[in-house]
Amino acid sequence: MVTTIAAGVVDPFSRQLTFVLFLSVVVVTLFAALLIAPQRDEVGEFYLGNREMSPLRNGLAMCGDYLSAATLLGSTGLVALTGYDGLLYLCGTTVAWMMVLLVIAEPLRNSGRFTLGDTLALRLPQGGRSVRLALSLCTLAICCLYLVAQLVGSVALLTQFTGVPSSTTRTLCVVVIGTIVIVYASLGGMPGATFIQIVKAVMLISGVAVTAVMVLHRFDWNVNALLEAATENSGIGQRFLEPGLRYGGSTTSKLDFLSLQLAIVLGLAALPHVMMRLLAPRSTNVLRSSVVWAAGLVGFVCLAAGILGLGATALVGRDSIVDTDPKGDAAVLLLAQSIGGGVLTALLSCLAFVTLLAVAAGLTLAAASSLAHDLYGEVIRKGRATQAEELGAARLAAVLIGALGMGLALLSWETNVSTLAFLAFAIAASALLPTLLYSLFWRRFNSRGALLSLCGGLVCSVLLVVFSPVVSSTPSSIYPSSDFAWFPLQNPGIVSIPAGFFLGWLGTVLSRREVPDTYDEFEVRALVGVD
Amino acid sequence: MSNYFTRPDEPPTYSPTYTEPPPEQTIHAHPEFQTLRNDYRRFAAVSTALAVGGFLLYVLLSNFAPGIMNQPLAGHLTLGLALGLGQFVVMGVTAWRYVRRMRTRFDPVARGLRSQLEQRRPAQHRAAEQAGPRPQSKREFRTW
Repeated sequence: MVTTIAAGVVDPFSRQLTFVLFLSVVVVTLFAALLIAPQRDEVGEFYLGNREMSPLRNGLAMCGDYLSAATLLGSTGLVALTGYDGLLYLCGTTVAWMMVLLVIAEPLRNSGRFTLGDTLALRLPQGGRSVRLALSLCTLAICCLYLVAQLVGSVALLTQFTGVPSSTTRTLCVVVIGTIVIVYASLGGMPGATFIQIVKAVMLISGVAVTAVMVLHRFDWNVNALLEAATENSGIGQRFLEPGLRYGGSTTSKLDFLSLQLAIVLGLAALPHVMMRLLAPRSTNVLRSSVVWAAGLVGFVCLAAGILGLGATALVGRDSIVDTDPKGDAAVLLLAQSIGGGVLTALLSCLAFVTLLAVAAGLTLAAASSLAHDLYGEVIRKGRATQAEELGAARLAAVLIGALGMGLALLSWETNVSTLAFLAFAIAASALLPTLLYSLFWRRFNSRGALLSLCGGLVCSVLLVVFSPVVSSTPSSIYPSSDFAWFPLQNPGIVSIPAGFFLGWLGTVLSRREVPDTYDEFEVRALVGVD
Repeated sequence: MSNYFTRPDEPPTYSPTYTEPPPEQTIHAHPEFQTLRNDYRRFAAVSTALAVGGFLLYVLLSNFAPGIMNQPLAGHLTLGLALGLGQFVVMGVTAWRYVRRMRTRFDPVARGLRSQLEQRRPAQHRAAEQAGPRPQSKREFRTW
């Protein structure tokens, strides 16, 4: 819920500075995106961008796609408010990237072409079309949820500036951000999206590093002094550095936290826009170095975000953070105001807006690729569409998805950003990950198993959230007055992820054994590669 | 989606060093490939269990055994916080071991198998591919 904030956190000077900075970044990146946009009618360039980029640049782009504004604002706020539990959350974000490095990245790149649908079609040629349709639905659901989360996040961020925005301001904010996102995705394609990702990643890493250095410098580089001050100003003493502050108490809330961590660790790795980026590097060696670079950068940002969160509690105080915004999203901005004045506040706010924009662009592009390539190209036109037609469909799909995202964001602007994001992670973990892992590593897996795990995972996660306290029965629910919440946890992961894996297994076992011939070829290709 | 591997209709020619396997055998049945695959799977499973399973165990411990995790080590640093930092160390070591292992054990074998695969393709496939702009797989990346 967006809470009532009497006035914005940010003073007029930094508000204007933020505006100017944001505008200049947007103008520069828009021009750049238009300049490096695909010149020819080639779907490969539109979907994958420059395939010859160096590992560092690829790694920066992956890091940019992977870390959303939720990490910068939400997670640091969580650390500032709940100490230990917030740090656990940051740790989970980093661990999830290890799944990508160890299990997913190389086999996926070796066997994939443009989307995950191509990998599945290669692996399960018998049921190609229906699997693609189901996969496209799941991708669309995940991308839309996460996109709406980013756009709703922009309204929440605007709240820090102007207090609770009027409906006109709100609409204007969402429409402007959404339009910029559409231009990046539909005109710039992957080259444009990559450019904004790299710009954003460099800004994010340097911004977070500078602020963390300033915090540590304030405490003479003594981490213990930082912890000391944080426990003192948290108002609850050593409890601040002990687990259970947010999810303690009942067993239900502990299970809820475990469920959330499962969804994060397994779901972040399977987000469509991240997987799409894994397909871009031309050679396995470059991909491996890129993923390692990204792992290092993600780990660094998460560590620095932890320092920022602790610093916010130590220097601003937990009570004043809660007073400003009970969710804690204001923590970073308050910290910046207190150690760096208006300029640092403006820099970090601009950074938050650019982060939102970049992740939203990546998501729109991933959804558009899936719609154009899987749904239009392979299901509707049955693989007979020309490149120009498919490219036109991709651009149109980007516009449609952007518009859909804007509409949904305006309808549900009061929803909690993290609820939407966590649902997206849960769907990715319970629908996409089982299908992907089974098709990479299980010989018997067949199209019925894929269909069941894709649809089952999606339906299971959504239904469990609908019948959870998120939607009804508590004061903070969407429908607080009615009560149909028979599922006690807010995060469905702990049930829906095993369900997705189980359904994939069940569907496979129940159907006739298919000729395992394709798996041999697929496995050679996935492991050895063909380049 | 066409099939990516074309089985040779005629017995393909081999370079002198590769006398085995017999022509009707696929790469998949090649003993080297089988070892490579089993090696890769075992290593991926063990390191994923270590990095991801270790983290989930840490979350479980934090939730259900706070007494252990709250033991102070030095100053305000508790065992739980130290283990959290330890997760980052474990991840770093895992990533480093993965990269080293892939580079020393996996890549040479995979390269050998790949060149065998190339040789088995009919000549016109190779000619068509060589005519097109082929990327340099061993390109040095000097740019940032």
